[in-house]
Amino acid sequence: MTKITLHSIDKSYGEVQVVKNLNLEIFDNEFLVFLGPSGCGKTTTMRMIAGLEHPTQGTIAFDGKRINELGPQERDVAMVFQNYGLYPHMTVEQNIGYPLKLRKVPTAEYEERVLRAAKRVQMHDLLHRFPRELSGGQRQRVALARSIVRKPQVFLMDEPLSNLDAKLRVIARAQIKHLSEELQVTTIYVTHDQVEAMTLATRVAVMSEGVIRQIGTPEEIYNNPLDSFVASFIGSPAMNLFDVSTEASGLVILQNQNTNIMAPAQGDWTMGFRCEDVQLCDPNAASLKTEVFTFELLGDCTMATAMVDGKLLTVKAAKDCRMQSGDALHIKIDPQHVYWFDYQTGKRWLQI
Amino acid sequence: MTGAVTSIPGYQPTLKSRLWSMTQQTLILLLISSIVLPILWMCITAFKWPRDVYSLNSAFWFEPTLTNMVTVFQHPWNLGSKIINSIAVASGAVALAIPMATLAAYAFSRYEFRFKKTIFLTVIASQFLPGAVVVLPYFLMFKELGLLDTRSALILINLSIVLPYAIWMIKGFIDAVPIEIEESALVDGAPRWRVLLEIVVPAAIPGIITAAIFSFTLTWNEFLFALILTKQDALTLPIGLIGFRTDRGDLWELMAAGGILITAPMFILSLMVHRQFIGSLTAGSVR
Repeated sequence: MTKITLHSIDKSYGEVQVVKNLNLEIFDNEFLVFLGPSGCGKTTTMRMIAGLEHPTQGTIAFDGKRINELGPQERDVAMVFQNYGLYPHMTVEQNIGYPLKLRKVPTAEYEERVLRAAKRVQMHDLLHRFPRELSGGQRQRVALARSIVRKPQVFLMDEPLSNLDAKLRVIARAQIKHLSEELQVTTIYVTHDQVEAMTLATRVAVMSEGVIRQIGTPEEIYNNPLDSFVASFIGSPAMNLFDVSTEASGLVILQNQNTNIMAPAQGDWTMGFRCEDVQLCDPNAASLKTEVFTFELLGDCTMATAMVDGKLLTVKAAKDCRMQSGDALHIKIDPQHVYWFDYQTGKRWLQI
Repeated sequence: MTGAVTSIPGYQPTLKSRLWSMTQQTLILLLISSIVLPILWMCITAFKWPRDVYSLNSAFWFEPTLTNMVTVFQHPWNLGSKIINSIAVASGAVALAIPMATLAAYAFSRYEFRFKKTIFLTVIASQFLPGAVVVLPYFLMFKELGLLDTRSALILINLSIVLPYAIWMIKGFIDAVPIEIEESALVDGAPRWRVLLEIVVPAAIPGIITAAIFSFTLTWNEFLFALILTKQDALTLPIGLIGFRTDRGDLWELMAAGGILITAPMFILSLMVHRQFIGSLTAGSVR
């Protein structure tokens, strides 16, 4: 319903600048995820959209209309907080209904809408409980119901799953995705968990140190990282990244071995490849010969790691593969799937 | 009492540990007696005939009477009007102090403004000033205003005594209210005054009630200012009590009866409220 524009936003707390010259357009009905490590400015950016913080500089607009001066009450947004922010002295029903009460919705409609929202998150049997009588997962669902009881311009979600245990998180994630598709409201979601970002987003904005490093669909971000930070942040396990130098010919040296992989030019590079783009192979076909550091069973596959130039290199292997620490590890890196990043700036080198 | 120690199976208390625990119990008993005995004495004396008050023979065995309780309400003591004054002054002070303190505490807790720390410390520090120092300026001030011997003057004075404590207590409780529930309410569409009234106050209600009771007690027992600033119309209970020191000597049995009248309401009030508000209400709001 709403298009959000952030135009050259700066946010400083005294000396510390947490968001730097941020420009971003969030489309109608989009599910945009801000992804980044803690302290990267993603929550601050969301709070500025909510109206809980005010930008030091720049413009925030909903549908082209500047809203910098509006308080959170006047922006018609709904937010799910990391620790839910439920009202302790109100029952589940009163919690969910509070936004309606503030809008003076008539009793019959109030009851109907509260029940509908509660049913959406399967909390309709617990309407008369107090928050302290609920489990973590139930509290999270109450917070979710409170945000969907009205149809706001934007949904804001600040790490809503980070306080749930792993199993619940998967269920709640599916629930949020289903809800957002059903409700068709622009959603902004903050997380540091790249799996959440990949699964939920229509677009992901990867942030670090107050700057958006890259914005794109999950696929783009995964397949085409624009710099080594994005590459290191997306994917589980993270992309293998090694600072390498080349021979005069341009062939890459890794752990004092010639890998037979050609760098784009002679010099220093950061070389990246994903664990699934590396194969175990015969000694004579290997790009790199090393030994197993750890070996992990994951069920559907296995992971072998090696210590290469002081960093872990991860290789994905078949599910029936078995190795032990210290075993010889011969791996073949497919040059097609190697990403090259500028050693100095971390920027991706792209063939012209 | 030693049972608790000896009853542990296989535990043989040494002579030293026995002596030590006996010493401890004696000290505890002494401490308790120093608090309880005067109250006990008051409760007994209030129901004695004047002739029994000083007699050792009837220290504990005496013929009880309610005469004292009746006498204190009669001329010339008239404790009735003093009770009404005390109730009016204490209720008035609390009714003004609590909303004011809540607003101030909220501001100190949640807003940033210039000289915040200094102002807060000044408010608290105003309590370190002995009342005797300011009582004369107050006397002159109220005389100018024509407020001497009025309940309004006492309410104002007690307000100034009680407010700093109330602000400080309530601020502690508001500090403990998670900021997220306020932000939730703001985002849900609540104006600031509704956030305060519907979210913060209910969440901090144990603290607010505690502060109210504390303020009421402080005002109820206030002596110095009431003594100097009142004469006959606005006399409060504590001042009524010293009326029992007369030319004919101290009328202990009447003073004890008055003492019960002062203590009992406070005792009942704190019992009632204590039962209702144990534990924090904010449990479960976040995470």
